[in-house]
Amino acid sequence: QKNGELFYLELSEGEEEAALARAASSQGVSTNHVRFSDKEAEVITEQDRKQRRGLKAEGETALKRLARILRRKRRPSQRRGGKEGGKENPASSRPASILKNQAAQRQGVTVQQQRLKDACVYLNPKRLGGGCEGGGLLEALLGVVHRPARSRAPGDPAAAARREERLTVHGLIPNSPAAKCGQILIGDVIVAVDDVDVTSENIERVLSCIPGPTQVRLTLETVALVDGGGGAEPSPARRPKASPPVSQLVRLLWGEDTAELQMSVGHIPHVVMYLSLKLDSASPQDEEEILYQYPMSEASGQLKGVRGIFLTLCDMLENVTGGRIISSSLLLGKHLVHVGYWKEGSNLLVIGLPAERVPLLCLQTVLGDVVRTLKVMYGSLDSAFCEVDHAPRLDHFFCLFFQQLIQPWRLREGCSAPPPSAPPPPPDVSGTLFLEGLPAVRWLTLPPEIKMEVDTVLSDFESSDFGEMSEDFFGLRRLYVTLGSCLFYKVGSYLIANHLPKEALLDVCLYCQHYCLLPLASEQRVGQLVVWREVFPQQRAGGGVAAGYSRPPGRHFLLIVGLRHFMQCVLLEAGGCASPAAGSPGPDCVYVDQVKATLLQLEALEAGMEERLSAPPAPCLSCADWFLPAAAARERLDGLAASSPVLSKLAGAVRGPPPPPGARGRGLFGEKSRRSSPQRSLSDSGGEEHGSGAGLSPNSTPDPARRRRDSLGSNGSGGLFKVNPNPFHLGTLKKTLTERETEEMYATLKLTAGAENTLFHYVLMETVRGIFIAPTHREVAQLSGSIHPQLIRNFHHCCLSIRAAFQQSLPGRRAADRPLGGGWGLGPVKEHGVLFQCKPENWTDQRKPAPTMTYWVIGRMLLEPVPQEFYVCFHDSVAEVPVEMAFRLSFGLAL
Amino acid sequence: MFGGGQGAVLSSCETEAGGGVVWRVFQDSVMLIAVSRGGGKEEQVRLRRLLENVWSCMVLVLGQDELVHVKNVERLKKELRSCFSLIDLLLEEKLEGILGSLTHCADSLLPPNASVLQETVDGFARAADSEFGCLIVHGRIASATEKWWRLAPQEVILLSAFVRSLSSSGSASCDYPVFLPQGSPTVAHRLLRFQLLPGADVCVLCGPTPPLHEAEAQLVGRFWSPLVETLRECLALGERCLPGSVTLRPDVLALLLINRETRRSVCCVQMFPHHHTLSKTRRWELLRSFYTFSTSRYFSQEEAACGPPEERALVGDFLQGFSHQPQQCYLVTEECKSFGLQTPQHQLFLLSPPDVPTFALRTVATQTLLLLPLMN
Repeated sequence: QKNGELFYLELSEGEEEAALARAASSQGVSTNHVRFSDKEAEVITEQDRKQRRGLKAEGETALKRLARILRRKRRPSQRRGGKEGGKENPASSRPASILKNQAAQRQGVTVQQQRLKDACVYLNPKRLGGGCEGGGLLEALLGVVHRPARSRAPGDPAAAARREERLTVHGLIPNSPAAKCGQILIGDVIVAVDDVDVTSENIERVLSCIPGPTQVRLTLETVALVDGGGGAEPSPARRPKASPPVSQLVRLLWGEDTAELQMSVGHIPHVVMYLSLKLDSASPQDEEEILYQYPMSEASGQLKGVRGIFLTLCDMLENVTGGRIISSSLLLGKHLVHVGYWKEGSNLLVIGLPAERVPLLCLQTVLGDVVRTLKVMYGSLDSAFCEVDHAPRLDHFFCLFFQQLIQPWRLREGCSAPPPSAPPPPPDVSGTLFLEGLPAVRWLTLPPEIKMEVDTVLSDFESSDFGEMSEDFFGLRRLYVTLGSCLFYKVGSYLIANHLPKEALLDVCLYCQHYCLLPLASEQRVGQLVVWREVFPQQRAGGGVAAGYSRPPGRHFLLIVGLRHFMQCVLLEAGGCASPAAGSPGPDCVYVDQVKATLLQLEALEAGMEERLSAPPAPCLSCADWFLPAAAARERLDGLAASSPVLSKLAGAVRGPPPPPGARGRGLFGEKSRRSSPQRSLSDSGGEEHGSGAGLSPNSTPDPARRRRDSLGSNGSGGLFKVNPNPFHLGTLKKTLTERETEEMYATLKLTAGAENTLFHYVLMETVRGIFIAPTHREVAQLSGSIHPQLIRNFHHCCLSIRAAFQQSLPGRRAADRPLGGGWGLGPVKEHGVLFQCKPENWTDQRKPAPTMTYWVIGRMLLEPVPQEFYVCFHDSVAEVPVEMAFRLSFGLAL
Repeated sequence: MFGGGQGAVLSSCETEAGGGVVWRVFQDSVMLIAVSRGGGKEEQVRLRRLLENVWSCMVLVLGQDELVHVKNVERLKKELRSCFSLIDLLLEEKLEGILGSLTHCADSLLPPNASVLQETVDGFARAADSEFGCLIVHGRIASATEKWWRLAPQEVILLSAFVRSLSSSGSASCDYPVFLPQGSPTVAHRLLRFQLLPGADVCVLCGPTPPLHEAEAQLVGRFWSPLVETLRECLALGERCLPGSVTLRPDVLALLLINRETRRSVCCVQMFPHHHTLSKTRRWELLRSFYTFSTSRYFSQEEAACGPPEERALVGDFLQGFSHQPQQCYLVTEECKSFGLQTPQHQLFLLSPPDVPTFALRTVATQTLLLLPLMN
C-alpha cells in the first residue's frame, strides 16, 4: 500500500499528480533533449548551440573514461535506434545525444566530474506535519521519493532483485529540501547520509536519528553508472521514475524553461483573465476585479490595461443587441487581437489571442475547449480560478495552452530528435486548430481480430475482477469502480479502443491535448507515464438524470498510464458502489499496476498495430505533386499505360512495396495476412476484375510499364515514385502476398470514381462516438512531395471555414421559425466546397506559364443515419458526389 | 473610444445571436458605430462597408472640412440632417437588386442599344461643359462617360444612390453641390440632374456653368427627345438588367456578375421558373449573404488591399491563411445551391434550385459567364 500514500503528500498540496517518468534510455532519448539553460540561454542561437555542443562533448569524454559499461549500453541502444526509427537520419546521433545531455547536466550542477557527488540538504524534522502518514521519513523529511522495487512493472524480476537494496531517487517532492537544493537528480542513488552508508533497509533509521534542524550531507551516485549495470538490453527496468513538480514536467516535455518559452512570445499579445463583474466601487483597492491573469508580459499588460473595455462591452452589448458578447477584435499597435468571452455567473473569462494564429472563425471553439478542460479539471471555472492554490497550476496550464497555439513548432522541436539547425517547419496551425477543435478523437481502425483482442483485454481490466482489486480479496469495499477506459496507441495519436461514453472520452481527450500528451509523444516511446487526478466529467456533473434514477454522487478520478507506445486512460469512480473517497486520495498502486499489466499484455498486439500503421493507406491517397505535369516522366508513363489497356491493368496490379533496404521490410511483409481488411472491397466490379487479373499472375513477367516505374523509383527521381502504392492505379492496388496469397485478395477501398485515384486527403468525423478518422501521419509522410504538405495545410485551413459554416448554420435549424436574416443568413448548410488552384513554387521557366493543378476541398454534413461530418480533398479532374464518398468511407471502415 | 489611451483600438464585437457592433474613427474627428442584431460572422463585413459608405455620404454632402474641423457641434448636427435621407437609403437598402453599397462595384444595366446611348451621354456632357455624365435607369447606370467611370468606385456608387434619392423626391431637375469623397473632398462640384422619364435620370458633374435652367431648357430636349423610345426600352428591362438577347439558363435563380477591372456589376433575379418557391426578396437576400460569405472567406476584394493599413489587417486575416488560391466555391443549403467563381477578370455568384446536381453547378456557372461577354 505504500504506493498509494506515496503520492499523498503531493496531492494534499495540490491535488494534481503528474508523475512523469521518462526513460533515460534510447526510448525516450529524443524527448529527453534537455537543454539546461546556462543562464544566458534565452533564444539559442546557432553559435550558442555549438558552444554547448563542445561543452557536452567534453563532458562526454570525461564520462567515457568512467563508464565503459555505459558505452556498452550505448551500443544496443544504437542498434535499437536503427531498428525503431529507421527513417530517422543517422541513428547514432540520437542515442549519443542523451549522453551528451547528461554530461552537460552534470557539468552544470557539479563542477567536477565525479562518480559520487555530495549534496548538502538542510533538514528540519520539526517541521514535519502530522499529515504524512505513510511515505516514510525519506519522503517526509527529505522529499525524495523512492519506489520499492516490487511496485515496478512485472516481467522484470531480475532487475527488481538487483535493485532491492539501492535507494534510487525516483522522484522529488516539490518544495522539499531535496528539490530545493537542486543537486539531487532523479535517477541518482543515495549512497550515504553524513557518511553513513544507507540502503532501503536502514534509511528510515538513519533519518530518524537526525535530532533537529541541521545540514545533512548526502552522497549520491549518478544515474548513468547505476543504469549501465543493466547492460545488454534497454529494458523496461531502467526507467527512473519521476514525479516532478509540474514546472519540471514542462522542462522535461519541452526541454526548456517555461519562463524562457514565455519570454519568446512576450511580444505577441495574448492574455487570459478572469474578471469579476461585480464591481464594488467603494473599495479603494486597485485591480481587484482581476481574479486571475496570465501571463504578465508587456503585451498582455496592455490588454490588461484595457480590461475596462471587456467589462463594459460584456455588460452593454447584452442590453443593446440582445445577445451575449462572444468575441471582439481590437488592434494593439500592429497586432490584431481577437478576444473571446465566456461568462459564467458573475464572472467573465477573457482570452485574447493574436489573429494571425487563431482566426475569428475558430476562436469560439478554442475558447469552448479551454473552458471545458478547466471544468473537467476543477469542476467549474469559479473553483478553478478563485482558489489561490490553483494559480501556479493554472499558469502552467495556460502556458501550455498559449505555447501550443502561438509557437507549436517550438514544442515539437523540443522533442524531435536533434534540435534542427534548419528553421522551424512551417506551422500547420490551422491543422492543429481544426483537428483539435473537432469534438472527436483520432481513431485508428484495426483489423477485427486485433480489435477484438484489445477489447477483450480492456474489458478484463474494466471488470476489476482481478486479484487484489476484487472485493473478496481483502474483504473490503473496493476503492474505485472503473467506469471505462480508452486506449491510445503511439502514445495518443490514435485511439484504438474506447470503452468510455462519448462525453467522457472527449473530456479525457481534451485533458490530454492540453497537456500535450497526445500530440507530443506521437512518434516516440514514452518510458513511463502516470497521471492521476480528480476530474469532473461534464456529463455527470451536468445532470443527465433519468426518471427514477439519480446517479450516485461520486467523485471521479482519471488515471492515465503510458507505457512505451501505449497510453491508457481510465476513469474511476469513488463513491457510488465503491467506497467513498475522502480527502484527496492518491492513486492506488494496484490500479496503476493493473493498467500497466494491461498495457504489457497489449504490447503483444503491437506488431499488428504497427503493421496497420505501415500498411498502405486504406482509402488510397495520391500525392498532389503527381498531378503537376512538372515531371515529364509522368506523361511518358501515362502514354504507356493509355496505349495498352492490358498493360495498364497489369500495372494497376502493382506489387507490394519493395522492401526498403534495412529493417522495416519484415514489418511490412511479415504476417501480411493478419492485416485482414477493414477495407472491404466495395462493389467495385472493375476493381475485382483487376484484382483477379493480378491474382493470376502477380509476379508475372515484368511488363515494360512496371519496369519503367521501378527503375524510376529506384533512382528516386524527385521522390515521385518511391511511395509504395502505384500513383496512377491505386484503385486496384494489389499486394503480392508472400504467403497465402490465393486466399487473400483485397481490392483496396478507393474513394474516388474514375480510373485514377484522385483523393488527396480526408477526414471523417462521427459525432455519435466522438471519433474521427484521417490518414495516419505515416501515410501522409509517405506521400512526400513539396506541394502535398502545403495542400494539407490548405485543406485544414479550409476545413476550419467549412466547419464554421456548418456550426453557424446549425442553430438556425433549431430555431427555424426565427425571422429570416437573423443569425446565419444562408440557411442550413449541407455541403460546402472550395476549389483551389496551386502552382509549383519557384517556377523558373519564363517561357511557359507555370503548370497549375486544381483541387476541391469539400465538406459535407450528414445528419442521417448517424451525424457525420466529412471533409475531403481531391483532384479536380473527376466530378465527385461527396455524399457517396462519405458513405463509401464510413462503410468501408469497419467502425 | 475606451482603449485609445492604452494603445488599443477596438474595432468590432460579435454577439451570440450573430449580431455585431463595429467601430471606426474617421479622420480623427467622427466615430461611427454600427450595431446589428443577427447576420452571422459575415455581418461584420457588411457593417464595415456601411460605416465607410456613411462616412462618404457625409463627405459627399457636407465636405470633409466641415466634418474634420468641427467648430460648432450643434450646427454640424443640424447640417448632417441633410444627408439623412441618403444614409437611410443605405441603411434600408430599399431598392432590391442594388448591391453596389456592398460590392463597391457600380450596379449597371446593359441596355439593348448601348452605342446610341453612349454617344448621347457623351454629347450631352460635352454640351454641358463637363466630362462627367451619366444615365441612370432604375437606379443602375445604363451609360456613362469615360471620365465618370474613372471616378473612384465608391463615388460612382454614392452618386448613383444620391441621384436615386433625389429622383425619388419627384422633382424634374435639380442642381446640388457635391464633394467627391476621394476625388475632391474639399471642393464642391455641381451635380445637375434631369429626369428624362420616370425612372430614368441623366446627370452631369460640372463647374459653375451652365446654370440649371439653361441646361434644362436647351440641352435636355435637344439630346434626349430623339431617344425616348430607346429609353423606354431600357426602362422595360426593369430589374433584369440584361438585354433581351441574352437568355439565361432556367436553372439560374439569381446572379451577380462583377467585372473586377472596371468595377461594374450586373445582377438579376430570374423569376420565370415560377414553380420555384423562393420569393424574390429571399433570393436577393441569399445572393447578398452568399456574396459576403464568399468574399470574406475566399475571394479577395480589391479595395481591401488598398485601404488603410488597419482596415487591411482586419479584412485579410483568414484569407491570408490559404497557401493556395481559391478559385470557386459552392454552398448547398436547404433552399438553394449557390456557386461562386473567380477569374482574374470576373467574379460570378449565382443561385440554383436545390434539384440541380452539385457537379453541374460549375458548368452552369462557366456557361453563364460566357453568355455575358458584354461585361468587359
